[in-house]
Amino acid sequence: MNLPRTTLLLKKITRDTPLDVPINVRCLHLTDINLKKQAGRYKKTPRGDKPLTYEMAYAPHRIAHYKSWNSWNTANLLDGLRPAETLQEDAFIRKFMTGTWHRLFLSEIIIKRQHNLIRIAGIIHQAIPPRKLYFLIGYTEELLAYWLQCPIKLELQTVPNRSDVTFKYI
Amino acid sequence: MSTVVSSCYKKPVLFKFSKSFFSFDNIRKTTDLASKPGSDEDEFRTLDIRGGKTPQTYSRKKQPRVVFPPRTERMPVDQDWSNVWPGPRTFHPASVPLPLRQGINKLGASPGKVGNVELMKIPNFLHLTPPAIKKHCMALKKFCTPWPRALSTNENCQKYFPLELIQTDYCHSSPSIRNPLARIITIKFPLDKLHLDEHAKDKFLRLVGDRYDEETGIVTIVTDKCPLRKQNYDYALYLLTAVYYESWTFEHWEIEKSQPDLEYYDWDNSKCKENLIHLFKQANQNMEENNLLVERLKESIVALFDEVGTTDHKDLWPGDVVSLQTCDTCGSSDSLEGGQPHVATNHGFHGAAAGHP
Repeated sequence: MNLPRTTLLLKKITRDTPLDVPINVRCLHLTDINLKKQAGRYKKTPRGDKPLTYEMAYAPHRIAHYKSWNSWNTANLLDGLRPAETLQEDAFIRKFMTGTWHRLFLSEIIIKRQHNLIRIAGIIHQAIPPRKLYFLIGYTEELLAYWLQCPIKLELQTVPNRSDVTFKYI
Repeated sequence: MSTVVSSCYKKPVLFKFSKSFFSFDNIRKTTDLASKPGSDEDEFRTLDIRGGKTPQTYSRKKQPRVVFPPRTERMPVDQDWSNVWPGPRTFHPASVPLPLRQGINKLGASPGKVGNVELMKIPNFLHLTPPAIKKHCMALKKFCTPWPRALSTNENCQKYFPLELIQTDYCHSSPSIRNPLARIITIKFPLDKLHLDEHAKDKFLRLVGDRYDEETGIVTIVTDKCPLRKQNYDYALYLLTAVYYESWTFEHWEIEKSQPDLEYYDWDNSKCKENLIHLFKQANQNMEENNLLVERLKESIVALFDEVGTTDHKDLWPGDVVSLQTCDTCGSSDSLEGGQPHVATNHGFHGAAAGHP
């Protein structure tokens, strides 16, 4: 057999290190930690023509300083009730809204809860006739009210152009 | 080659197709052509598929969508705002005639109200303007009754309704109105409102324990054992009743209560008073003559025993004892040292304490 030496070594050495790391592997970092944060941040384009809304323009650590939350409820306060259920319902509502109002929402979907009332707010594009809009509002309210067993209110604002919500270009 | 005979005409019309394939569109075109007015009915009409004069296909023009201008432009200045914004609602720029801005822009002005999500996120109080609240109150007023005149002041309320009931309702943003903390009931009442004699009060305080606040004289009972508020309320009232009647009962073993079991310093039955009487008798003096001194001494000693650890009594009592001593010295000088070591020694406290450990 004409195996390289490292392979032979690996076969010989019993692996009793806790992380099952071979002993001949160097566990030492000589470079700095990157600490790169990417969530909720957007990359610059070479041309600088990527439109960002106000919400997108500020990174998540600006919440409560420059911008506010997208979900308003009391579940995560001290001694709040149903935090997990609220989060799951909010995620469901967001998914349902983006699917039902396909390519129409120009902003994030805001979910505000008061007692058992759920208000869903946001900015939509005037891309469909008002008749369809009214249908979608009724449809969404009815179905979500049936699923979540809560009164639902859709409070939407419409803008004629997609660029109306643009805050800056990067 | 295939031939198709259309049966929707009086006379059969024969069409010739160069292809064996046709679709529904073809039929529509052919019927359009065939039903052209002014065509000769006697002859068979032939269809020219290869061009010629074809009618222009109808294309739908894209209608410009009618978008109404924002409502704010049509609002009169003297409108009733509570009709425009009657209840809580997410902000809408077309309904609010205010030049609002929200957000931070380092390069220019803050974003305006149109297409501004930040304004939609935050709770607004546009439905709670002072006129709206006034209107609301006026509407509710007809359901209100006047406040009882006898309860005009807080003191009167406390006098006629001494029992204070504290319960908490919780408002959540959740579909459930239940909160386990809402079951807790607290009742408070001043102890002197209860009809208790000396024995009953003593027993009541022993039963109640640290639920009695000595500074304010208020007894607080908190119940949270039952799952429902009503049950806890009933339980609290039951406890109050039970403790009250229990404190009035006199068990046979309560006769065995002696001086050390007392929760206060009983001056009248104390060894100290006995000694003092003896002292005065030896000095051939009447105790009533030195009433002021005796009172002061009594106060000092009672305070000394009742408020153990709360005040520094070292400065309090020797002065009184010394003044007693001087008074006695005026009458009979040797009677103090020989006759009454309990009070007259420098550590007269020990003598008194002998009667009340």
